[in-house]
Amino acid sequence: MHEPLLVVDGVSKSFGDIVALHDIDLTIHQGEVIGLVGSNGAGKTTLLRLLAGVYVPTNGRVRLANGEEVHTARNVIGVVPENTGLYSRLTAWENIRYHARIHGIEDDVAWKRTLYFSKFLGMDDALQRHTKGFSRGMRQKTALLRALAHAPRVLLLDEPTAGLDVTSARTVRDLVSQLGQEGGTVIYSTHQLSEAHRVCNRIIIIHNGEVRADGTPEELLELTGAEHLEDAYVSLTMDVAREDEVNEKPLGRWSKAWRSMFTPSTPKEVNEDE
Amino acid sequence: MSSRRMRITTIAKKELIEFVRDWRTIVAILVIPLLMFPVLFILFPLLLASEAAELQAMEVDVVVQTDGMPDELSLAFNTSDLNITYEPLGTIANLSTPGSDAERLRNTSVDAVLRMRTNGTVVEYALLYMSTSEQSLEARSRTFDVLAGWEENETVRRITDAGLDADETLDPLRWNGSIADSDVATKGEQAGMVLSLFIPLVLAVWTFSSAIQPSIDMTAGERERGTLEALLALPCTRMELLMGKWVAVATITGAGVLLQIAGLLFAIGYLASTEFISVPELDIATLALLCLAVLLFAIMVVAFELALAMRSHSVKEAGSILGPAVLLILFPALFTQVINLDGIEAYWFAIPVVNVLLALRELLMNRIVLGHVVVWLVSSTIYAFGAAWYAARQFKREDIVTSLS
Repeated sequence: MHEPLLVVDGVSKSFGDIVALHDIDLTIHQGEVIGLVGSNGAGKTTLLRLLAGVYVPTNGRVRLANGEEVHTARNVIGVVPENTGLYSRLTAWENIRYHARIHGIEDDVAWKRTLYFSKFLGMDDALQRHTKGFSRGMRQKTALLRALAHAPRVLLLDEPTAGLDVTSARTVRDLVSQLGQEGGTVIYSTHQLSEAHRVCNRIIIIHNGEVRADGTPEELLELTGAEHLEDAYVSLTMDVAREDEVNEKPLGRWSKAWRSMFTPSTPKEVNEDE
Repeated sequence: MSSRRMRITTIAKKELIEFVRDWRTIVAILVIPLLMFPVLFILFPLLLASEAAELQAMEVDVVVQTDGMPDELSLAFNTSDLNITYEPLGTIANLSTPGSDAERLRNTSVDAVLRMRTNGTVVEYALLYMSTSEQSLEARSRTFDVLAGWEENETVRRITDAGLDADETLDPLRWNGSIADSDVATKGEQAGMVLSLFIPLVLAVWTFSSAIQPSIDMTAGERERGTLEALLALPCTRMELLMGKWVAVATITGAGVLLQIAGLLFAIGYLASTEFISVPELDIATLALLCLAVLLFAIMVVAFELALAMRSHSVKEAGSILGPAVLLILFPALFTQVINLDGIEAYWFAIPVVNVLLALRELLMNRIVLGHVVVWLVSSTIYAFGAAWYAARQFKREDIVTSLS
């Protein structure tokens, strides 16, 4: 086992009265490629945002192994949010350089790293193009290059293959696998258990804001006594999943009342004889 | 460069690059303010002249109701450019009561009705018209011209018949010499006075309105497009983010305001003599205070707008909040124009927005009143820091990470 890199220590996160994550304990080691698997609204994105230092826990701590709080040490983390977050009036390289500069990385250093990974992703010809006309796959790859330009110790990917074509999804998965082989640490959220199985050496199943299982695929099978990971997942998440997004404060009383005034009620059942 | 400053500069630079790459925004925020006043001041008078020529060419029908009028007046009507129709006056107690004539004025079969009768040595009259009809207003105006011409001749005739000199009787008080020479204010001071009526208003309104679009784009726009989450995961503090965006918005707004003032000065110079807008006489201390007043105002306005835009969940929501908020600046700005600066009480210089506008007016007239300077400086600083604090609070909100995209 490699040395610990990130420690999630009794972390809970609430938005108003809604508890998005409850009492999470995790230790993430260097070299692990972790699949964060769960349904919509399970709390994957909230956990990734806590790990990225974008959210501050309501209770508990997210810290580096040296004890430093993660939100004060964001330069060791690379993030690819679900919607990539590229500026369409900038070129791919300008998007990458913008983040690299805020990380304090010299342009030539960032450029060398970008060029190295862009060849792997087949993006080297697109670096000087404006991202406005980019396909979903190209946007995802650019966001990956941007997250890697400052050589992060941990890479956080929020559903990186969602909406990608088969080839692009495979390229992204291959890159993640290579990063893992090179000793990099990647945390990878996905709905797809099969994808997590293919790419990750550790799977965390998260459901309704709680960690239901954490281990290698073999350990999950052993824990549940199932023959397939999908059966294991189903047995671990039998209770009804919440589907609402829980990463925002709920509407206030007045906003709710105002909105309900303009929301049509459900149509009454129509009597078939009429 | 310190790493903090470097991050702020990087954020501001990126925002400015994005801004200049959008030609529509450049047109809206930089080109329009440059051209607005020249177009308004040069084309508008041309339009007015063309409208006046059109009115002059109109044929207007006036009915004159009378049982007899002086021969000279009758001659004046007959030689005028009015289409006159005479009718008997009949018995009317009050000449200005329209009675049955109202209908034909309303249906525009006539443009004006002039009623006249002689009462001893005086001619009594009333002119009926419809104020909402341009044709009727023109008829009224031309009829008055004829009446005024006759009245002037009749006055001179009566004074002369009484054995008096008409010129001395009608104009017993006369100016001697040039009016311009009698003003002890220098050209520079006069220029300052004139500019103090325009520049504070333009500066206030345009600072606010030109900051709206970039403020929304850099906050609610980022949030809506989903670019903010990746930005918030970077190793820069929310305050650095706010400051970087503030610098960018302030730069864009500053450029817009400068261009608009340049356009205004050009337009005034085109219409009036160059002496009219000679350079105001401002010493170094006044100039420094002017810059400080503008800076404090810009800090307050831009921070306030960034805060309101960042509170919003979408571009649409931000626009619907910031659009009407222009009135918060417009009303005080218009109100400030009519405040008399002579003997003004110091508390006026503590009212938000009004304080900076009054300060600008005083400074452009090269007046430094220490008491006023202290009050506006302290109050503006408090407001600027208040707005910055409010903006910082909004940028530190955890929910800004949530994207609608």
